[in-house]
Amino acid sequence: MNIRIVDSHLREFLKTKASASEIAKNLSLTSVSVEKLEKIASDFVYEIEVTTNRADLMSVIGIAREASVILPEFGIDASFMPPKYLKPKVQGNEKIEIENDPKLVKRICAAVLEVKIGESPKFIKERLENAGIRSLNNLVDVTNYLMREIGHPAHVFDFDKLGGKIKITASQGGELIETLDDKKHRLFAGDIIAVNEKGEVVDLLGIMGLKNSVVSDNTKRILLFLDNNDPARIRKTSMNQAIRTEAAVLNEKGVDPNLALDALYRGIELYEKYASGLVISETVDIYEEKPKTNSIKISFEKINKLIGESVPNNSSATILKKLGFEVKETKAGLEVKPPSFRVNDVKIEEDLVEEIARVYGYHRIQSILPPLKAAPPFSLTGDSFYWEDRVKLAMKYWGFTEVLTYSMVSEGLFEGMTEDALKIANPLSVDLLYMRKTLVPSLLSVVKENKSTENIKIFELSNIYQKRPGSLPLEKLKFAGVVKGKVSFFEIKGLIEAIFEDLGIKNFKFGKREDEMIGADTLIDNQKAGDIEILDDNFIDFELDFEQIVKNASLSKKYSPITKYPPIVEDLSISLNENIATQEVIEEIKNTDGLILDVSLIDQFANKRTFHITYQNPSKNLTNQEVSEIREKIKRNLTDKFQAKF
Amino acid sequence: MEDQLINLKNNAVSLILDAENKEELEEIKLQFLGRSGTLTTLIKELPKIPAEKRKEVGALANEVKQTIEETIKSQITNLKFQTSKKIRAKIDITNPAVLPPLGHLHLVTQAIEEITEIFRSIGFKRVRYPEVEWDWYAFEALNFPPKHPARDDWETFFIDEKPHSKYGPMILTPQTSNGQIREMEQTKPPIRMLDIAKCYRRQSDVSHAPMFHQFEGLVVDSDISIAHLKGVLDFFVKSYFGEKRKSRIRPYHFEFTEPSFEVDITCGVCLGSGCKLCKEGWLEMGGAGMVHPNVLRNGGIDPEKYTGFAFGWGVERVLMMKEGLKIDDLRLLYSNKLEFLQQF
Repeated sequence: MNIRIVDSHLREFLKTKASASEIAKNLSLTSVSVEKLEKIASDFVYEIEVTTNRADLMSVIGIAREASVILPEFGIDASFMPPKYLKPKVQGNEKIEIENDPKLVKRICAAVLEVKIGESPKFIKERLENAGIRSLNNLVDVTNYLMREIGHPAHVFDFDKLGGKIKITASQGGELIETLDDKKHRLFAGDIIAVNEKGEVVDLLGIMGLKNSVVSDNTKRILLFLDNNDPARIRKTSMNQAIRTEAAVLNEKGVDPNLALDALYRGIELYEKYASGLVISETVDIYEEKPKTNSIKISFEKINKLIGESVPNNSSATILKKLGFEVKETKAGLEVKPPSFRVNDVKIEEDLVEEIARVYGYHRIQSILPPLKAAPPFSLTGDSFYWEDRVKLAMKYWGFTEVLTYSMVSEGLFEGMTEDALKIANPLSVDLLYMRKTLVPSLLSVVKENKSTENIKIFELSNIYQKRPGSLPLEKLKFAGVVKGKVSFFEIKGLIEAIFEDLGIKNFKFGKREDEMIGADTLIDNQKAGDIEILDDNFIDFELDFEQIVKNASLSKKYSPITKYPPIVEDLSISLNENIATQEVIEEIKNTDGLILDVSLIDQFANKRTFHITYQNPSKNLTNQEVSEIREKIKRNLTDKFQAKF
Repeated sequence: MEDQLINLKNNAVSLILDAENKEELEEIKLQFLGRSGTLTTLIKELPKIPAEKRKEVGALANEVKQTIEETIKSQITNLKFQTSKKIRAKIDITNPAVLPPLGHLHLVTQAIEEITEIFRSIGFKRVRYPEVEWDWYAFEALNFPPKHPARDDWETFFIDEKPHSKYGPMILTPQTSNGQIREMEQTKPPIRMLDIAKCYRRQSDVSHAPMFHQFEGLVVDSDISIAHLKGVLDFFVKSYFGEKRKSRIRPYHFEFTEPSFEVDITCGVCLGSGCKLCKEGWLEMGGAGMVHPNVLRNGGIDPEKYTGFAFGWGVERVLMMKEGLKIDDLRLLYSNKLEFLQQF
């Protein structure tokens, strides 16, 4: 969350010669990031990104305190000038009756004032406008000025519109309210509201004031109201109603309740000065459960070990003290109590280390690589990432383009029954509704999106998600590709074979698809490892289980001695029934004799198939006699088994 | 006989010099020097010559044979030269090349590869953990308070499944930090992990895609300090972005680290002096911090004995910062327009 701090306002509490740009730079390095430094007339504005844990820095005073600690670390003198708040003089006996619920609101500070509505003085108007807040009138401006200066949101009611006693309660749900920006809202259950004696809702606490109790030109008496609310309820209400006022954003981060009374006193002072204000009631302070602060012990050894640099002991103590911590120094370390505005943020030793290290200066800490003391043995064969890279590179050099598609798909792209699908409960759109179970549909949609491209070769290696009742889905790495254009089934089969060959996978084969679609299943060790699908004459896809590939991939090498004796090769033409698979015939021929080195199909026409057969004996020259005996045996076997004719 | 030999020689030489290829030369060689070649036939008649002249004619015949052989040899060399001259004359090397097939790896894959190698060189082990995860691993164990904004359904994708009795709702990981707990559960220190994975957030605009990638580093050991985090950070920045680039850490706030840092690197254009493209010379790269003791505890590691640091940065972000690719819509990376993908 960003906040705009006006330089002239800041310097009311910060005495330093540092320039605005020095303040901006050093705050960024050691505290909160100054995103922008803007010069406006004779003033500067810091636009600061305050992290959620530092609600205390959402104020001019908070930033002034922080800067006063930091600047001296960079050799620039600076001191914090804390404001003094005085209990106001009461000049009336008006009564305020508030019934609080401490579970909803931690602290309420309030007072009734007689005021004259009018314009704010120029400097307040300018500071507010520069801080990004619209100036309305002196009554409203004071609440905003307070919020920016002290960091506690404030509200002002027209006291005469409230209708007596107010009660703080949680909404039932369904109440209709109109906020002061003329918008109507229907409340959910559990919003923090104030209800008057007539049962009317008069405030949506911590978020925005309501139309029915807002100050107007006729306002004579006001109730200045500081409410310190339960942050979680504020967040819920603010998000549900989509009202993101600065007060709401601040309140949902948690504001220090100890600031409420300061803010009340400061508000009264401002009304007295700029709205002819007179306090006509006793000030009210309802504060039942004060936040507890625990002290934290930390050793100097721990500080230095975690920072990795020896910070002088007294530096650590001084830094914390200046940041508002109570510090007791012992021989071995520090005993520290955080200030009220840091209790939600600083709870453990590491929090203290952060305070010390950042103010000491992260830039002063050395930069060294952690020593590598031990490492587990590394197995390249077992490293899936290695095989992924290898396959991706092969695909690249075979002309494929890698795509990365969304893991979430529409109902149309989900393959299978949607009951089996992992469904997103809060999708961004129906196009991203289910976690996909297959990759191919996503790839096909890429092909569709690139309609004008004639030849497409794409692939993806990504997870798919298989629903498992009662546990996380099975995330499986899949390897899929699509080729559109001039392509045959055998090229895709060849691509897969080449990958298997490169990865040292030997025990694979192709079989009929289980699902009777056109194409083939790929099997490794007789286990289905994926399939090829022929969609069209010029459109083929495949999807393989990459885990199975990795499981079977191997880097082991085997040497066969180079034979001195030349092979004998011959082609054998065979007439075979067309239903007989070539692979079966090749296996049969290979199994005939140990001297057959290799068999391949080189030609096929009608029922005639020609096989290229290589014979070799590694230990001596083969004679024609030996080859002819084997050939005859092949012929006999094929005739017996397949009724082959020669 | 002498005349015959001299004629034969002249005849052969002129034929050889006219020959245009190796085949012709072979034929000529056969014609003269073959088993029934003309020279061979003549030599066979040598014994018929009177003894006193035989020696002289024999020497001449030998000389003719040698000349023919040498001329053939030199003509072969000559022919080779001619051929290469012909080829040279024929090539227009500016004609288009014939390329082997060459495809493209996705930009994100290329970045992941480089990041992996950089961290591998200083001993980081790459791992992968679930993308669909229990709340415990993605939030609760990482010290997120129950009502933290990141845990509501405005920012994180929830899966429509029954919550786990112990681990809470099922979600899509909005960051890779679940890897911290998963790694600590599996590995005893020393830990030096690099987890690169897909992440998901309910955001889709020009600078956010609902799916993106992060790389998460985790180092846990005895005596790990902020100085070590700075060391690894500097190493990465100088390796990935170049030696001229510098890094710095600034205070920030994350639930799962304490202290927490925002990491900046110097702008690649002005190298830190400040320009229109950066914030006073610096660009934000991502978050980092010392692992919160609660997180160590939730991962089964004793925070009294061990400390650690962690960082989680966007792959797409460092990629854009490095290459200065001015991709106007980040979602283009996942739109899979081939015209885009095939540029890289």
